[in-house]
Amino acid sequence: MEKIKKYFKRSTDNNNYIGWLCTYTPEELILSAGFTPFRIYGSKDYNRAEGFFPINFCPYLKSSWESILNNDTHLKSIIFTNSCDGMRRLYDTCKKYSSIPVFMLDVPKNQNISSVNYFEFNLNNLIDFLNSLGNKKITNERIKNSIEIINKKREGLIKLNNMYRNSIIDIDTYNSIIKISTLSDPYLFVEELSNYIDSIKNVAKPKKPNILLIGNFINEDRLWKLFSELDLTLSYQDTCSANRYFEGLVENGNKPLGSIAKRYLYKSACMRIANLGNKITEIKENIKKYKIDGIIYISLKFCDNTLYFYPLLKEELKDIGKPSLYLEIEYNNFSEGQVKTRIQAFLEMIYT
Amino acid sequence: MSFKDTLKEKIKQNLNRKFIGKILALAAKKPVLYLFTRTLKSVSDKHLNSVSIKSFYKAYSKKSQVAYGSLFLPYEMFYSLGLSPFLPEVLAGFTAGMGIADKTLAAATKNWYSQDLCTFHRSASGAVEMDLFPKPKFIICTNLACDAAQKSFYIYSKKYNIENNFYLIDVPYDYSNKSIDYLSRQIKEVCYDIAKKTGKDLDLNKFKNIIKNSNKFRHWAKKANDIRKDLTAYPPNYNGLNFILPFHGLAGTKDAVILYKNMYKELKKYIGKKENIQHKKILWLHLKPYYSNDIFKLMQEGNCRVAFEEINYVYWPELDPSRPFRSLAKKMLSHYLRGPIDNRIKTIHKMAEEYKIDAAIIFSHWGCRQNNAGARIIKDSLKNRNIPTLVLDGDCVDKNNYSKGQFRTRIQGFIEMLG
Ligand code: SF4
Ligand code: SF4
Repeated sequence: MEKIKKYFKRSTDNNNYIGWLCTYTPEELILSAGFTPFRIYGSKDYNRAEGFFPINFCPYLKSSWESILNNDTHLKSIIFTNSCDGMRRLYDTCKKYSSIPVFMLDVPKNQNISSVNYFEFNLNNLIDFLNSLGNKKITNERIKNSIEIINKKREGLIKLNNMYRNSIIDIDTYNSIIKISTLSDPYLFVEELSNYIDSIKNVAKPKKPNILLIGNFINEDRLWKLFSELDLTLSYQDTCSANRYFEGLVENGNKPLGSIAKRYLYKSACMRIANLGNKITEIKENIKKYKIDGIIYISLKFCDNTLYFYPLLKEELKDIGKPSLYLEIEYNNFSEGQVKTRIQAFLEMIYT
Repeated sequence: MSFKDTLKEKIKQNLNRKFIGKILALAAKKPVLYLFTRTLKSVSDKHLNSVSIKSFYKAYSKKSQVAYGSLFLPYEMFYSLGLSPFLPEVLAGFTAGMGIADKTLAAATKNWYSQDLCTFHRSASGAVEMDLFPKPKFIICTNLACDAAQKSFYIYSKKYNIENNFYLIDVPYDYSNKSIDYLSRQIKEVCYDIAKKTGKDLDLNKFKNIIKNSNKFRHWAKKANDIRKDLTAYPPNYNGLNFILPFHGLAGTKDAVILYKNMYKELKKYIGKKENIQHKKILWLHLKPYYSNDIFKLMQEGNCRVAFEEINYVYWPELDPSRPFRSLAKKMLSHYLRGPIDNRIKTIHKMAEEYKIDAAIIFSHWGCRQNNAGARIIKDSLKNRNIPTLVLDGDCVDKNNYSKGQFRTRIQGFIEMLG
């Protein structure tokens, strides 16, 4: 991350942050209220947070709680989403034991017209909450401007994704820039990203096989480093820290809120959605599109949404003859040696 | 060997769907059922066993159209549609009671269900993998309470090749007019879609009557609950945590009305009966282990008694028979596990007051994120009211996660502290 930080200095120099955790949080609205959307990544270790949650609790949420408790990010507020049981309880804990203003955004699990309408209604409540924080008053015009810039950010990240797949940049750089995109002023970031992309010349040798990475919140510098040492390309990262975050634009028309509701409910889905069959279809399409040779499934431990999905996916992959490797990891804490050996064995299997 | 133990043994030896169906057909025969329930000491228990066996038998018999349902659904809709409900989570409790959970859990592990998941769902999933459950026509679930059912139930729909007959009733986080509209529309759509698929019109008159039955059940369940506020003695072997199936899965049936009416009558007889010892009154939060264990014996030895269980709380208002969908939406939205934990805490405080609770026990079932991750807040909130709380870590289904010694130490330590 350090080596690319210099390209993104201005956009990350900010202090008017509103925190978010789940990719179902519309950054557009936070931005319209005059704040910078800031994804919470949590602190590296957690001690204080242990006393609030059981041992078998999502490590991402636990480490997020540690950083909220320590208030190391000076957030003006935090927007939660009704994404999973863990998130609901983190919201409750935050409301009870911290003084940061919080809001819970209810995101429907079904994908149909009435759920889009209901989501739009909930987005209106979010607008009221953001307005109550007393910064900029959200107007339709401001929402439209925000849609435009966040779309630009997404387009930039898609370009970056293409560069990575064609081995123009390495995996570490790729994931670091995605992370920066969630922590910075989108207006400045879009400019900086474009400058960065223009500055890149070196072309690395493409690596085979093409791997599809599926998981939840996978943000592990050590993992990216490990992957970069292996002979593979993570052609598509179906995780909420990569493609699921930036794929899919919001239509910028006359009904901006409805368009936001639609984009978020129909974006590349997290396993939280009701119809897991739709998710399977999406995965199969990606396997074809990116000529995937094998799937690495990584779940942060204790995430029910992700853990329950694997038995279903495994069967489906068997039907189409694609091998998969299943890994469960702790956040910021896993044995590199062990993970590497397992991935190597998996790659060997693909080749034979 | 008792009748129940003989059944258990037989099923263990012939673990397959057909045989379970046969055993249930035998057990549901009037004389057999009569002889069996005669051996039970409490009237409530007799009714519980008889309605449970009848309901399982119906689901296993080929005649009915089975629909799987998750625990907190409004079962009134199932009966209105002429479906036989089958509750995999409840049956998972039975796998523990029958001593077959080792096998179902192993089957789940073999099929990639992580050991970190809730064992109610893991055991049920294992049973589906082993083909022990009746084949469903429809699968309906809700995210009320937790994320687990919507995932495992979808996988079942895939297993049985009925993905198009899978429905998730997505319960909104907030209670508002808008959320009532959104939820009642979902319930209505599911009902009409199922009716269409079964080739029958939705009989709204029947629906009305079922809602009326549900209100009667609610009336008697409330009366039975109310009477417990003053009870110091109980029928032998009475345990409120056993009544999960009728309280949820039989809502809308006459069976539930009869059961709760009889429970009320039975409990009423115990009013005024004094036991020699003054018991400490415990509020039980969440569920209990369904394999044999001595938790309640230990409590009894320490002069503690469960005065009330959260799971039996009548949380919903009377339903309006002329507006079935809206009423059922309100019922779901009134649930204390919906939305923020404040809802649950308010309900807990109410129960603590009404039942003059001395202490609370939260059973922290491994893998249940919604409950366990709220334990600290609940405990702190009760502490503010001078009510001590024990968070008892364990597993409701997997007896391998039960250590007798550890439970003894924790329960006895807690009881000692109560003084
Ligand atoms: S990783 Fe899983 S448990 Fe953690 S916040 Fe995301 S969906 Fe929830
Ligand atoms: S025990 Fe918890 S996780 Fe399991 S089904 Fe019940 S509410 Fe869900």
